[in-house]
Amino acid sequence: MSSQPPSRPPGSRRIYLLQVVSVVAIWAFVLGISGWILHLLRLSHQLHDVPSASIGISIVAIPVFLTGASVLTYVFVGLRRGRDAGGEEQR
Amino acid sequence: MSADKHEFVDGDLLRSIEQSGVGFRVATTVLGLTVLTAWVLFSRQILEGLGVTGLNQPVAWGFYIVNFVFFIGISHAGTLISAILRLSQAEWRRPITRMAEVITVVVLAIGAFHPVLDLGRPERALNIFTAGRLQSPLLWDVSSISAYFMASTVYLYIPMIPDIAILRDRGVRPRWLYSFLAWGWQGTPRQQAVLGRAVNIMMVLVIPIAVSVHTVISYIFAMTLQPGWHSTIFGPYFVVGAIFSGIAALLMVMIVLRRIFRLERYLKQIHFDYLSRLLLIMALLWFYFTFSEYLTAFFGHEPAEMRVFYYKVSGPYAPFFWGMVVCNFLVPVLILAFRRTRTIPGIFVASLTVVVGMWLERLNIVVPSLANPRSGLPTGYYLPSVVEWGMFAGGIATFILGFVLFARFFPLISLWEIQEGRELSVAETAARLETYLPDPPAAAPAEEASP
Amino acid sequence: MSRWGMAIDLDRCTGCGSCMAACHQENNLTAVGPSEAALDRVFHWLRVLPEVSEAHAEVTVTYTPQLCVQCDKPPCVRVCPVHATYLSDEGIVAQIYARCIGCRYCMAACPYNAKVFNWYEPQWPGQLQAKANPDVSLRYKGVVEKCTFCHHRVLKAREDAALAGRGLRDGDVSTACEDSCPAKAIVFGDLDDPASRVSRLARSPRASRHHEDLGTEPKVYHLARKE
Repeated sequence: MSSQPPSRPPGSRRIYLLQVVSVVAIWAFVLGISGWILHLLRLSHQLHDVPSASIGISIVAIPVFLTGASVLTYVFVGLRRGRDAGGEEQR
Repeated sequence: MSADKHEFVDGDLLRSIEQSGVGFRVATTVLGLTVLTAWVLFSRQILEGLGVTGLNQPVAWGFYIVNFVFFIGISHAGTLISAILRLSQAEWRRPITRMAEVITVVVLAIGAFHPVLDLGRPERALNIFTAGRLQSPLLWDVSSISAYFMASTVYLYIPMIPDIAILRDRGVRPRWLYSFLAWGWQGTPRQQAVLGRAVNIMMVLVIPIAVSVHTVISYIFAMTLQPGWHSTIFGPYFVVGAIFSGIAALLMVMIVLRRIFRLERYLKQIHFDYLSRLLLIMALLWFYFTFSEYLTAFFGHEPAEMRVFYYKVSGPYAPFFWGMVVCNFLVPVLILAFRRTRTIPGIFVASLTVVVGMWLERLNIVVPSLANPRSGLPTGYYLPSVVEWGMFAGGIATFILGFVLFARFFPLISLWEIQEGRELSVAETAARLETYLPDPPAAAPAEEASP
Repeated sequence: MSRWGMAIDLDRCTGCGSCMAACHQENNLTAVGPSEAALDRVFHWLRVLPEVSEAHAEVTVTYTPQLCVQCDKPPCVRVCPVHATYLSDEGIVAQIYARCIGCRYCMAACPYNAKVFNWYEPQWPGQLQAKANPDVSLRYKGVVEKCTFCHHRVLKAREDAALAGRGLRDGDVSTACEDSCPAKAIVFGDLDDPASRVSRLARSPRASRHHEDLGTEPKVYHLARKE
C-alpha cells in the first residue's frame, strides 16, 4: 500500500470494548426473547390454552433467535482471529 | 490491496457518502417534518382516543391493519429475493441484493409498528410480554416478525462488513462508526471464509422465516370464522402477494435510486429485464390465486360469503376490487409481456400499479369482511380520517427517510460483491457452465465400464 | 356450579326497546350521542334489531333482541393476545378492562358483533354520572366491553341466598333486561338445572341459537315466532 497506513484510531481500545458490549447486548436480547417465549409457554399451560400452538412456536422461534446470535458471534470471533497475524502495517 | 482497486473503479458509489450535499439536507428536513407530523397526529390519537379514525362498530379494523399487512408484504422484497438469488447463484443479483435487504429492514420496522398504532391503549402493548398468550395469532405474528427482523438485519449487516471496512480505510467520517462496525475486517482469506459461511447460513435461514411471516399474518384473518377470511388458501395467497408487491417495490426503488445516484453503470437494462420477468410471473401467479379464492367462494354460494362477494364485485367496493384486478394483473401483464414496452419507464409504471394494486388487495381483504357481518347488523361503511391518511403518509416518509439515511452512511451497492463478480465470477461461471454440458462421447463408455 | 343462559321469546317481543334502556342504566354504558351514532358507533351491549319483510303488499316489522350469546366455545377468547377476555367457570364470557390493550381482534373475530369499543373517553352527560350503578365499574377509552349477563346481580343474589342460608333458586337472579321487559319475553337462569324455566324453554322445539352451525355453542336461545 503506497498511501500512509491509516494510523491507529485514537479510541481503538474503546471501540473494541463497544463491539464486545454490542455482541453481549445481542445475546441479552436473544436470551431475553427466549426467556419470554418460555414464560408464555408456562402461562399457556396455566391458562389451559391450546398446547400445540405454544409448543410449536417455541420449538421454531427459540432456535431461530439462537442461530442468529450464534452466527453474529461466529463472525465477530472469526474476523478477529482471521486478522493478519503480525498486524503488519495495518492495525 | 484490493481496497485500492475499489477506490479506483467504483469510487462513484461512495460519492453520496463522502460528499453529502444540499440534497441530503433538504430531503431529511422535508421527510423528517412529515414523520414528525405523523407523530403529532398519533399523539392526538392517544390523547383523544381511536375515535379520531374512521373506524366503527362493524368495521373495527381499517387503514392501520391494511397498512400493516401491506408494509410487511413489501418487506418480502428484500431478504427473500436476495436470498433466493444468492442461493440460485444468479450472477446478476450482485448490484441488487443490498438495496433489497435495506427495503426489508426499513419497511419491516414500519410495518411492525402499525399494530401499535391500532391499539386502543398503546401504553399497554407491553402486556403482550407479561400476559401474552401464544395461542392467539397476534402472538404468532409478534414472534415471527421479530425473528424476521433479527434475521434480516443480520443478513443485511454481515455482507456489509467488507464495504464498511473500505469506508474505514478511506477515513470517511464518522471514523469511529466505521471502525466500530467493520469488526476488524482486513480481507484475509480466513476472514473471507468466515464471512462466506455466515452469509450462507443466514441466507438459508432467512427464506423459511420470510415465508412464515406472511403466512402467519394471513392467519390473523384465516383463523377467525368470518366470511371471506376463513380460507385455507390465505397463507400461500398472502405470501405470493407479498413477494409480488416486494419485487414491484424493489424495482421502483432501483429505478429511482439509479436516477438520483447515477447508478446506470451498475443497474443495467438486463437487471430490470430479469427482475421484471419475475414480476410478470408473480402477476400471473397472483391472478391464479385470486381466481381460485373467489371462485370457491362464489361456487359455494354460502349466503354470508356471497354478501362479502357482492360487496366487492358489484357493491360499494367494486371500484377498489376491479381497480385491484386492473392494477395487479391487466396493466403489469400487458406492459411486461412485450419487449417493446418492457423498458425502464414501462417497468416503473407496471411496478407502481402493482404496489397500488397490492395495497388495494389488502383493503379488499380487511374491510369488506368486517362490513358484512353475519350477525344481521346493517352493512357497514368505512371512511378513513385525516389522521389515518396522515399516518399512511408518515409511514411512506419513514421509508424514504430510511433510504436517504442509509445512502448517506453506507454504499447502496455492494462494492466487494461487484468486485468479486469482476474478478472471480466470470471464470467461475464458465467452469460451472462446463459442468452443465453433456460429457464428451468418448469418455462415456469408459466410465460405464469402470464401476 | 351454575351455567347461566337466557331464552328470548320472539313471539312475545314487541320491540319496545326497554331492555336496551335498562341495560344502559344498569351497566353504566356510555352515551355516545347522535353524531357518533351517525358514524356507526352506536353503543349497546344489547340491541333490538328490526327486520322488515314485505309479502303480499303487507309490510311486517319483526324485532330480534341481540346480546352476547356467551358462547361455550367463544371465538373471541381464542384470539385475545393478552387474556383480557375469558370464559368464566359459570359460562360467562368476561372482559378484564384493566388488561385489554384495545387491539379489537375479539371484535373482528366475533360472529355476533357482540362487543363494543370505547372510541373516546366515555361520557355520562347530565345527571347520568351521579346516577351510575355502583355495582358496575366504569370503563375508559380504548378498551373493549360487552354484556356480562349482569354478573354483579349473580354475585349479589348468591350473597343474599347465603345470608338466608340456602342455595340459589331459579328466579333468584334476573338480568336488567329481563326485569324491564313488559312482555316477559326474556328469561334468565341456570341451564344446568333441568327444572329451571330457561332450561325448559331451551328444550322447546321453537328454541334455536344463532349461528349454531359455527360450533360456538351459544347459551342464548331465541324462541321462534308462531305463525
